[in-house]
Amino acid sequence: MVMETDVLIIGAGPAGLAAAYETASRGLDVTIVDESISKGGQLCQQTQILRTLPSPFLAMRGYELANTLINQLDEFSVRYLLGHRMIGTYKDGSIGITDETNVFPVNPKKIIVATGAAEKAVPFPKWTLPGVITVGAAQTLVNRDFVTPGKNAVIIGSSDFAMDVAIQLSDVGVNIIGIVESLPKILARDAEKTEHIMQRSIPLYLRSSIKEARGNGEVEEIDIQFPDRIMTEKVDLVCVDGGRTPILDAFYQLGCSFGFQEELGGWLPQYNEFLQTDCKDVFLAGNAAGISSQGALLITGRIPGVRVCEELNIISKQEAEHERASHWKELENLEAKLFPEKWEARLNHIKNYANPLLKDQFIS
Amino acid sequence: MHIKDHPVLGPQLQDPVTIYFNDQPYMAYKQQTVAAALIANGVKKFGLSRKLVQSRGLFCSRGRCCSCYMTVNGEDHVRTCMIRVEEGMEIYPNLEDPEVRGDGHGD
Ligand SMILES: Cc1cc2nc3c(=O)[nH]c(=O)nc-3n(C[C@H](O)[C@H](O)[C@H](O)COP(=O)(O)OP(=O)(O)OC[C@H]3O[C@@H](n4cnc5c(N)ncnc54)[C@H](O)[C@@H]3O)c2cc1C
Ligand code: FES
Repeated sequence: MVMETDVLIIGAGPAGLAAAYETASRGLDVTIVDESISKGGQLCQQTQILRTLPSPFLAMRGYELANTLINQLDEFSVRYLLGHRMIGTYKDGSIGITDETNVFPVNPKKIIVATGAAEKAVPFPKWTLPGVITVGAAQTLVNRDFVTPGKNAVIIGSSDFAMDVAIQLSDVGVNIIGIVESLPKILARDAEKTEHIMQRSIPLYLRSSIKEARGNGEVEEIDIQFPDRIMTEKVDLVCVDGGRTPILDAFYQLGCSFGFQEELGGWLPQYNEFLQTDCKDVFLAGNAAGISSQGALLITGRIPGVRVCEELNIISKQEAEHERASHWKELENLEAKLFPEKWEARLNHIKNYANPLLKDQFIS
Repeated sequence: MHIKDHPVLGPQLQDPVTIYFNDQPYMAYKQQTVAAALIANGVKKFGLSRKLVQSRGLFCSRGRCCSCYMTVNGEDHVRTCMIRVEEGMEIYPNLEDPEVRGDGHGD
């Protein structure tokens, strides 16, 4: 049997939930699919306070924002398919969803893909040894599974995210031997985070990188390469921050075109000012539309939500235009100030809408 | 190690379960994934790579890298960072390719 729905949202992270609110609160029937067992996406394990959120949200911790976004959907018609994954499309265009045992078709009027981003690896000899994990994985273990991933750790990368995770690891008793950054300066933009690191006397090693990891079946030792020397440290945990890149599987399956924007995480689906891809009924939101700040991501969920309502004649063109203008204004406020290079890249990407770099082709 | 009292979220681990890895019992808690519960017990090696026979373990903890594949309750190639522990769960490392060409696996 085919499941019918007005709007199918792939991904129950903050962007998917924001898109769900825009559409469900105006009366549309919404189905949200997420391969994970819980709602909230990557917000669930974020215990740090998020300060730059769009109205009506005040500063709050990541998991609190997840709960707020989930609770505000309570009174509307939203169907959750958790532990379910989109794995392709049928010949007639309906979407193939699996519960990891069976596959069944869902036939939506519109689809909003909010699959988020994946963390990239940082390759060095023996980076595949157990004990070498992403910073996001470390955060997930500590804040979602309540497990300390190791005793003595090195963090590779100095982004705001890496700093948050270093602080959170240190707060559960992991000894942070150092933060290793290949550039001559710290990448984190939030000076407060660096201060917290200093207060904890965690060494920051600039102009350094991992030469090699060693261990018998799991990581036991690493060599940190400095311009003039090599330092060997005993570790049982290495957390790598290689940045993030949009998850594109669903877009391949749907046949969307792609463009490239370094500042937004690399390859990403081509989209216009409605966050609509070149497949007419396919929209996108969140990190899948370009890696950005938490506040900006919420707005990228609202914009396609408004367009879907307009195309399904739930709101008038006038109302939609009014809403859209205010969302874009707020997105500019949040993104252009904090991350001007991301804002610039986003505008560029939209400008390229009619001229995608890749059409009918996989990126390999 | 299990975090008994989380600095922000407080004591969260309430419902213990017993899981078995290579037939040895380990203590886990209900909300933990299989991969996380094993790491809490000091188990990090989840399998071996096929060609170069190198150890593999958890890497991304969000279902993307497949480095955490193990056999869970008889099912091969389960992403153990994506499923939660259950009482009595039997887990074995991923040491070789499952037999998929035999009878009963289609043609
Ligand atoms: C492990 C990790 C930790 C992070 N921690 C931080 C942090 O501390 N601070 C910060 O600012 N940012 C962090 N991020 C960035 C994070 O991606 C964003 O903050 C935000 O959660 C992105 O929102 P989103 O809705 O776009 O995607 P997500 O929150 O990633 O949600 C996407 C959802 O889509 C689901 N999904 C993907 N593909 C499919 C499919 N085919 N079928 C069904 N469901 C699917 C996923 O299960 C996921 O729940 C982290 C990212 C990761 C990977
Ligand atoms: S650790 Fe990457 S899929 Fe489980």
